[in-house]
Amino acid sequence: MTRSRPWLLAFAALAMATVVLFPIYWMLLTSVLPSELTRSRSPALLPELSALSFDAFAAALERKPVLLWLGNSAVVTIGATFISVVISTLGGYSLSRFRSRAQQGAGFALLVSKMLPSSLIVIPFFIAFSTFGLIDSRWGLILANAAVGVPFATWLMKGFFDGIPREIELAAMLDGCSGMQAMWYVVLPLAKPGLAACAIYVAIVAWSDFVFARTLVSSPDLWTLTVGMQSFLGEYLVDWSSLMAVGVLSLAPVFVLFLLLEPFLVSGMTQGAVAN
Amino acid sequence: MIGRPRWMGYALLAPALAAVGFLILYPLYLVLALSFRQGKTLNVLRLSELPFGLGNYRTIFASDATWHSVFVTVVYLVGTIAPAFLIGLGAALLLNRAFPGRRWLRSFILLPWAVPGVIVSIVFLWLLDGSFGVVNALLRQAGWLATDLAWFANEDTALASVIVPTVWKAYPFFTLTLLAALQSIPSSLYEAAVVDGATRWQSFRYVTWPGIRASAALAAILNTLWALREFDIIYLTTGGGPDRATETLAVRIYQEAFAFFRMGTASALGVLTMGMAILLVLMSIRIIRREYF
Repeated sequence: MTRSRPWLLAFAALAMATVVLFPIYWMLLTSVLPSELTRSRSPALLPELSALSFDAFAAALERKPVLLWLGNSAVVTIGATFISVVISTLGGYSLSRFRSRAQQGAGFALLVSKMLPSSLIVIPFFIAFSTFGLIDSRWGLILANAAVGVPFATWLMKGFFDGIPREIELAAMLDGCSGMQAMWYVVLPLAKPGLAACAIYVAIVAWSDFVFARTLVSSPDLWTLTVGMQSFLGEYLVDWSSLMAVGVLSLAPVFVLFLLLEPFLVSGMTQGAVAN
Repeated sequence: MIGRPRWMGYALLAPALAAVGFLILYPLYLVLALSFRQGKTLNVLRLSELPFGLGNYRTIFASDATWHSVFVTVVYLVGTIAPAFLIGLGAALLLNRAFPGRRWLRSFILLPWAVPGVIVSIVFLWLLDGSFGVVNALLRQAGWLATDLAWFANEDTALASVIVPTVWKAYPFFTLTLLAALQSIPSSLYEAAVVDGATRWQSFRYVTWPGIRASAALAAILNTLWALREFDIIYLTTGGGPDRATETLAVRIYQEAFAFFRMGTASALGVLTMGMAILLVLMSIRIIRREYF
């Protein structure tokens, strides 16, 4: 392989990043432009800095309960992430350390979970929640999102536990730890990067959810940000600046989480984990 | 393992099994059960009171709209996966080389994978807006477009318009998987190829491609399954319209269930969709076995 011209490669990668991130740039730009500039037949790709303002953010917060939706999204995401990570850590540990038939079943379950569209899964969820009074409740939404995260997160945790030698626990148990103590005090601290990757993955999935929030919750007070954004589209004249401002608010946490997760994704892929 | 009984393994696994039961087994059962029942109910405990039969399947298979949806779905899958693969492969080959700033550029090029479907939808709705969208403005400036083409509302361009954001969200998964595969190819192979006088194309054809072929195939299968499940982007941009031009099975299922509350036919369509997924998996079972288990 030729090792020459690293700057040319960097330029090519920069050009590609510029093209693929243009939609995000355009969203950011629209959110800080006054609406008379966004309603232009020939918008400037690089506007003057003096024209920028945060009015669209203020307008969005004023016209719609954006902060309430943001809070709902946060509650659902945190709840689903917590439940999912606890379940997946225990399950992944079991799959890694105990021989059972579930080991072969786990890969199969992961595969099947990739064959069910969320627009289909939401039907049984809707019917079960209607039967048991969980429609229009935060708990229902948390449960649905937590369940969706479990198959992949468990698989991810199993991979991380597989990378921690069993001898470490054996030594702890010979020193008098119980099986649970060995897991809690010895293995879990070593699996911290795995826990972080797992939590970030589930959080991104839950934060992005639209179909569950759209279907399982009806009162606007319980809407999450994704459903709130849809309500902008239903209006006769879409207020693009405000909508893009809400989009920026919604994307910001995902952006931070993704930058933290990305190194794990590349190394996780090498171990055969599949995140899509 | 010393001091740890078998039941502990199952006890630790129990919550995960419960979650999988709730997420996979119960929906599979209920969708199948619903697809064989006539009439409407939202009470799962009352389901068995409804008459049993094949009516829902007769309805969907007799409807032209179903076959149209199957066609739209296939076009959508192929139209998404082929360009996403080429872009993803190009990005992976680029990011596998050493250059300054690679760590950050890699993150940015992979970012679309993490962008929520709703945000993808609103951004592309805005970019492709008929009157004020920047894409039309640029096309007008270049002299390639005379009218205010509303990409998502026009029957001829709607399907292509939903494919573009889907490709945008799908290519990073190829990049990620192929990059991991590329990094596991020993550099000694490339050195040997150079010693043997291989051209660039030959070293790609005989060293790189065999090294990434299996991962590429698995990623293509998983991405196809993902696109088959994809709902947010189409539902939010076109809602399946105009005149069903973008109504994939995933969207049609939702419309049947929650616009018309016909859970039975929606479930039968769901079984049809799963059938397509199973067919795809069966056709590629050897690759999946090698990579998954």
